[in-house]
Amino acid sequence: MNDLNDDFFRHISSEFNEELEALRRSILEMGGLVEEQLRAALQFYSTQDSSLLSKTDEIEKKINAAEIDLDEQVETLIVRRQPIASDLRLVLAVSKIVRDLERMGDELEKVGSLSLECFMSGSDVGVTEIQQIAEQVAKMLSESLNAFARLDLDLAREIFQREREVDKVYQSALRALATFMIEDPRNIGRILNIVWIARSLERVGDHATNIAEYVIYLVQGVDVRHPAVNQNSFE
Amino acid sequence: METIVSDSMVQNTNQVEGRAVPEKTLGEIQVDNPRMTARNVNVFYGEKQAIDNISLDIGMSQVISFIGPSGCGKSTFLRCLNRMNDTIDICKVDGEIKIDHQNIYDPAIDVVSLRARVGMVFQKPNPFPKSIFDNIAYGPRIHGLAASKVELDQIVESSLQRAGLWEEVKDRLDQPGTGLSGGQQQRLCIARAIAVSPEVILMDEPCSALDPIATAKVEELIHELREQYTIVIVTHSMQQAARISDRTAYFHLGKLVEVGDTKQVFTNPKHELTQDYITGRFG
Amino acid sequence: MTDRTYQRLDPQQAAERVKASINLRKRKETRFLWLGKTAVAIALGFLVLLFAGILSKGIPGLFQYYVTLDVQLDARQLDPSGQMTVESIAGGDFDGAILTSLYEALGNPEGRKAKREARRLISSGSSQRLMSYVLDNPEQLESMVSIQFAVDDDVDTFLRGLISRETPEADRRISDQLIGYIDALEAEGRISYEISDYLFFGSASRDAEMAGIRGALVGSILTLLVCIVIAFPLGVATAVYLEEMAPKNRFTEIIEININNLAAVPSVVFGIMGLAIFIVAFGMPRSIPLVGGVVLALMTLPTIIISSRAAIRAVPPSIRDAALGVGASKMQTIMHHVLPLAMPGMLTGTIIGMAQALGETAPLLMIGMVAFIVDVPAGVTDPGTVLPVQIFMWADFAERMFVQKTSAAIIVLLAFLISMNAAAILLRKKLERRW
Repeated sequence: MNDLNDDFFRHISSEFNEELEALRRSILEMGGLVEEQLRAALQFYSTQDSSLLSKTDEIEKKINAAEIDLDEQVETLIVRRQPIASDLRLVLAVSKIVRDLERMGDELEKVGSLSLECFMSGSDVGVTEIQQIAEQVAKMLSESLNAFARLDLDLAREIFQREREVDKVYQSALRALATFMIEDPRNIGRILNIVWIARSLERVGDHATNIAEYVIYLVQGVDVRHPAVNQNSFE
Repeated sequence: METIVSDSMVQNTNQVEGRAVPEKTLGEIQVDNPRMTARNVNVFYGEKQAIDNISLDIGMSQVISFIGPSGCGKSTFLRCLNRMNDTIDICKVDGEIKIDHQNIYDPAIDVVSLRARVGMVFQKPNPFPKSIFDNIAYGPRIHGLAASKVELDQIVESSLQRAGLWEEVKDRLDQPGTGLSGGQQQRLCIARAIAVSPEVILMDEPCSALDPIATAKVEELIHELREQYTIVIVTHSMQQAARISDRTAYFHLGKLVEVGDTKQVFTNPKHELTQDYITGRFG
Repeated sequence: MTDRTYQRLDPQQAAERVKASINLRKRKETRFLWLGKTAVAIALGFLVLLFAGILSKGIPGLFQYYVTLDVQLDARQLDPSGQMTVESIAGGDFDGAILTSLYEALGNPEGRKAKREARRLISSGSSQRLMSYVLDNPEQLESMVSIQFAVDDDVDTFLRGLISRETPEADRRISDQLIGYIDALEAEGRISYEISDYLFFGSASRDAEMAGIRGALVGSILTLLVCIVIAFPLGVATAVYLEEMAPKNRFTEIIEININNLAAVPSVVFGIMGLAIFIVAFGMPRSIPLVGGVVLALMTLPTIIISSRAAIRAVPPSIRDAALGVGASKMQTIMHHVLPLAMPGMLTGTIIGMAQALGETAPLLMIGMVAFIVDVPAGVTDPGTVLPVQIFMWADFAERMFVQKTSAAIIVLLAFLISMNAAAILLRKKLERRW
């Protein structure tokens, strides 16, 4: 499938090639920003260094700027190049990935501020569970970005696997957190916030799955979202 | 034939499906440091007016495209810029067109030297029925641009290289130009135009007779040429205008409706007529 | 506006109607095809008849009967002064030498009447022939040489079988005695049937056996040269002016109409005009190729102009645009691009016009080229005649041999015309450039 990657940049118009290359770079950069946010949270869970989380605000601003810039790039590409076939799928996929990345950024901002509240006090109840989820989700995010960069279908499919894993971890975390709440009702407020953190992280995982779906669309031209509606299988 | 003209009829004469052609052109007519300027240009074919009071700047080292429905005057206006309309007897041009602050219709200006500064590429490729070498060499020869045979060879080679044709024809320079494919012929005509070192190149629908691959090659060539030359291109294809031009001018019934940055014209045109044309609601 | 509602035919009905009409259409087409074929066949048939007639009469005209005699070249008899120049030889007795050898070949006939008859055997131009032989081969003096002399035209006619022995002697141009001599020479194998060198190298003459077209041919060539030198540049320049540079006004229109009409004017009128202007008003000599050429040029000019204009118009405007776009001036565009491309058409038109002019008789008759010119014209101001006029004149003469020679001359003229047309076709093929 790497041939498709080369094909993208073989237009007779060198300007078109440059524009597509710039688009790819921009989206991968935006992905990188989101990864940075998640890494900051992970590091915080292991080191309890609150300064890490102050960066999330800055990164959030950059992510929003990137969203606007990428949307404009997409608009320009459509107006000037009228892309079709694989070019069109690339542009449409990018446009959708931008949205998912931006939503990830929002969720991670919530994660950041809530984490600061819940784990500042030194109490580490629930940290392990959150860490577990966060690690899995971090892997999913990096895999989804790699799958896009390399247009790697196998990698994309692995993400679907990992989603099921994350689901299991998430469910067990919720059970554990519920137990904590029953054990010590004074903790309920705090534990509830931890539940929101878990949910946000799980959402980030969903968005990473979406990215994987877009990669499959981009490479194969098959829409694999909502399998109940869609008759196509994704093999 | 007398018709009784009522007020309502007068009001509708300039309207197309309810939209009036604006009195004043929308967008930015002027640019900083223009290569050519046109002010208040009117063109008549006998009694019929083809161009109505158009003013426009052509920016240096830029590509500007003229778009508009058939018969709107874009080709006529293009041909004013290098005085090709002089060859048509019934055509009358008034107004001011300047290149580097010189009025091109000034009697002191020799139209032959003007056409060496403002070159033209036509819709149907029209190489001379001579060898490829002679096709390119003809212009420099008659204008005395080469002092020796060696210089002439250099001019021919560099023109063909800049047109992206050198590799394809370097071994057959003595063969007739008419033996090339359509796309190659058009690139040959472009090479011929740049052989006389013009400042401006006018192109009248240069790709309309070419297949998509040849068109893409010519467009890539235009993209490369823009650094050294100012290019004015008339095109029927809006997609082409969107792809290759920096500025776009929309003509309608002999008037200039709107001119501006290409991206802006195609994403958010200022006038309804422009929007209707580019979205295919009429024309 | 009609108010009929149009019932749309369904495809099946339409197909049936088409089928029904097909037979009628096919028959019409077949009829038309056969009409065309018949017309072509008739035209070809007439052409074949024409050529058959000309060739059957003319080919014999290319040949002549000769008698071979052994002549003793006696230096004292032929070149008394011994200087071997044209003047000194003129005093020699060539007739004597020839007659001597003739009498010998005939077995030395006795008596003045017999000798007179014998003399009638040979052409009166024989002495001229012997003279040129001696001048060309002075080393042969004092030896005996075999030379072919032309027989007299009546003898020639007899030998062709056109004078019959059965006709009573009084009605014949050839006496029995002469026939006897002829038979004797034939028995010795001295009579031969050869390509006529007189036809091609001789000039106009009252004696049919000596008559040739050389003078007329040279005259034709000179006249045509004058015609082409005047008509081609003028015609081309006029065509270029009218097509490229003349303003489109009333005056130009009038000029165009006049030129087109001139092409239809009968050629005789040009001759009368030439007579009135050049010969009467300017006082130029009659019957010279110069005047003939000018008259023909004026006659051919409209043809050349019209075909040149068509050739120029056929050059696509895109070539002109391309040249102008690169910065060529109007003249440069015309000289470098339009003319070279129009040249094949112009040349073809010119050659066809020349071929027409070659065959013109009437206007040249009017300016007096009917004079009997013996010498070959050396330049355009020497009196001369042209081939068609020569043919015209020969057709008038009584001797039978002239009939053959006339047809032979017609063949030469036709050959000339055909080769000019062939040249036109070749030239066009060679110069044609695709654009």
